[in-house]
Amino acid sequence: MDIRFEQAEARFEGRTVLHPLTLSLTERRIGVIGLNGSGKTTFARMINGLVLPAAGKVSVGGFDTSKDGDRVRALAGFIFQNPQNQIVLPVLKEDIALGLSTRKLSKTEKQEAVSGILARFGIGRLADRRVHELSGGELQLAALASVLVTRPDVLIMDEPTNQLDLKNRGLVEKTIHGLEENIIVISHDLDLIGGFDRVLCFHEGRLAADGPPGDVIARYREIAA
Amino acid sequence: MKSLHVEGDTFLHRLPAGLKLAGLAAVSLLLFLLHSPLLLAFAAVAGIGLYAMLGLGWRNSWQRLRVILLTIVVVSVFTLVINSPVDAAAVFFRLIALFLFAATITATTSTGDFIAVVTTAAKPLEKTGLITASDIGLAIGLVIRFLPEVLDRYQAIRDAHHARGLKPKPLTLAVPLIILTLRNADEIAAAIDARGIRSQK
Repeated sequence: MDIRFEQAEARFEGRTVLHPLTLSLTERRIGVIGLNGSGKTTFARMINGLVLPAAGKVSVGGFDTSKDGDRVRALAGFIFQNPQNQIVLPVLKEDIALGLSTRKLSKTEKQEAVSGILARFGIGRLADRRVHELSGGELQLAALASVLVTRPDVLIMDEPTNQLDLKNRGLVEKTIHGLEENIIVISHDLDLIGGFDRVLCFHEGRLAADGPPGDVIARYREIAA
Repeated sequence: MKSLHVEGDTFLHRLPAGLKLAGLAAVSLLLFLLHSPLLLAFAAVAGIGLYAMLGLGWRNSWQRLRVILLTIVVVSVFTLVINSPVDAAAVFFRLIALFLFAATITATTSTGDFIAVVTTAAKPLEKTGLITASDIGLAIGLVIRFLPEVLDRYQAIRDAHHARGLKPKPLTLAVPLIILTLRNADEIAAAIDARGIRSQK
């Protein structure tokens, strides 16, 4: 994974929500923390190309998010805060297959890919279930499966445990810790990112701290105090 | 809200979705060409027989079909008032047959198969340069997927009115419902972009 921000800046309705930022992300597990409105979600969306830089450049795997959006999105999967909105077809297995719809795969290969990813997350029993009927934890795992079936190089998760009860939170945290993929996780859950390789802390649209989890979380606590 | 699709392995489930939808279109045209109440009554009985093959039972079937069936009764009564009893009988049996055939096809066709057929059927329209066939299929899938969410949201807004001791009014229900739905639509559109679903097609 090679993600680069080069003086990248984001503006929304004339207001700067992320000030010019230059950094390179190469670690396998990266956490992003900050108070509400600090710019961390904008930062994450810039990696996937959902938010394009108003100035500067963001690249993923050498592809510019402003010019090669399709290639960037194939490399960088994104899990939204509300997994309800992530899954766009009514039946889980159909939604997961939708992500593969134009890959040059036979019907059998697609079915195997769908079954495989559901089995990987232990939710094979949910294949034929209506998405509307799934619990919060099941939905979050389903959202993970729907993105990872396309095998992105990096997975960005925006507050993946935010709307979950204690049991489902534990389940999703365990799943995240077990992921083999490169991950970037935005979270208020400091326990979740405590063991990550690198943590970024945003404050008022600027990168306030960047380094090992212990140091950055300590800085975050000072900001939040 | 219950799913319209019914899991099963009947011969109707196994028939190709395109064939079923083409058959439904042909039968629908035929039903509108017929005017004999007797022939239309036979068609309605055939519709009942076909729907019964789903094995849902009377109670479950009634719950699924009652709203439309009651609407058909209202339309037929209205026809009886302004036209003849023969016309009313023809309208009643035609709509019953049409509805049951359509309900059976809907119940035995998965959303994915349905989208695939619609997408294929819309392919020639791409030559106009105005539409993308896969977008039409995806739009249908989105409607089916998110209708229960919109209904849940409506219920939540009603509950919020009751919780605050307010009487629900069309305007105070509709405005927040529209705003919340549009906000959700933005997020869903972003998710479709993020997953590269449209660009891959």
